[in-house]
Amino acid sequence: MARPEQKDADLEQESGRKKMGRRKACKFCADENLKIDYKDVGLLKYFIADRGKLVPRRLTGNCAKHQREIGRAVSRARMIALMPFAVTGN
Amino acid sequence: MAEKRRVSCRDIPGRTREYETIFILKPDVTNEVIGTTNSKIRGVLEAGGGTLLKIENWGRRKLAYEVKKQLKGIYIFFRYLGNPGLVEEIERNLRLTDSVIRQYSVKIAENVDAATRTSEVTDELFANASVPGPDEEAIATGQAGARPFGDEDEEGAFDFEEAVFGKVDEPTRRGD
Repeated sequence: MARPEQKDADLEQESGRKKMGRRKACKFCADENLKIDYKDVGLLKYFIADRGKLVPRRLTGNCAKHQREIGRAVSRARMIALMPFAVTGN
Repeated sequence: MAEKRRVSCRDIPGRTREYETIFILKPDVTNEVIGTTNSKIRGVLEAGGGTLLKIENWGRRKLAYEVKKQLKGIYIFFRYLGNPGLVEEIERNLRLTDSVIRQYSVKIAENVDAATRTSEVTDELFANASVPGPDEEAIATGQAGARPFGDEDEEGAFDFEEAVFGKVDEPTRRGD
C-alpha cells in the first residue's frame, strides 16, 4: 500500500499540475479596516461564483471566522434581493 | 406592546438595541407615496420609543430576482435604536402597506447606550429620502452624477478581484 504522500506526488506528476503554493492569508484578518457588511454588494460579489454559490475558503483563503461572516452576509443580501439565490442563465 | 414585551436576560436595563430595516417599494410609486410611507414608519418608531439614527433612499435599483412580479424596486434604509417589540410593530406596519414588496430587519448591536448615539436625521434629510436617486442604468451609462449606495467602482477601493482571485492557484486533489 502506497503512502498518501507518494500517491499525491504521483497524481500531480501524471496530470502535470503544480503543487499548491503558500497558503493565502485571510484578507479580513490582515486588514482590520475591512468590514463585512451585507449591504456591501461590491465586496461580497467576489465571494460568490458565477452561479451565485459561495466560493469555498479553500480558494479565497478566508479564515473560518470570516468565511462564516461572509456566508451570513451573503444570506442577508439574498433576502433583500441585493444578491441572487441562484443564477440560472435564463 | 413594546413596553410589555419580555426582553433577553442579556439585556442591561436602561440600554437599548440598534437595528436596521430595509424595505423595497414598488418601482412605479410616486414620491408622495414614498414620503407617506417614510413618515408612517417614523411615526411608529417614535411612538414606540425608538430613535431614528439614519434614513437613506438608495434609489430605483434592479432586483437580483423577481419579487412579487417586480424586477426593480425603490430601496429605503432605516437605522434606529429601539426595543425588540418595536421591530415587530414596524414589520407589521410594513406588511400592511401595499406598496412594500419586501422588508428585512437586522439587529446591529445590543446594549447600546442611547446617549452615545446621535441622530443624523434632519427634516431636510428626511424629506430628501422620499426622492429616489437616479436609476442604476442611468448611472451605468454616465447620464447621472450621483452614485448609489454600495457602488463598487470607487476610486482607491480595495481591489478584491486581484487580491482574492488574481493569485489563486489551481486546486490540487487531496485525500483521494
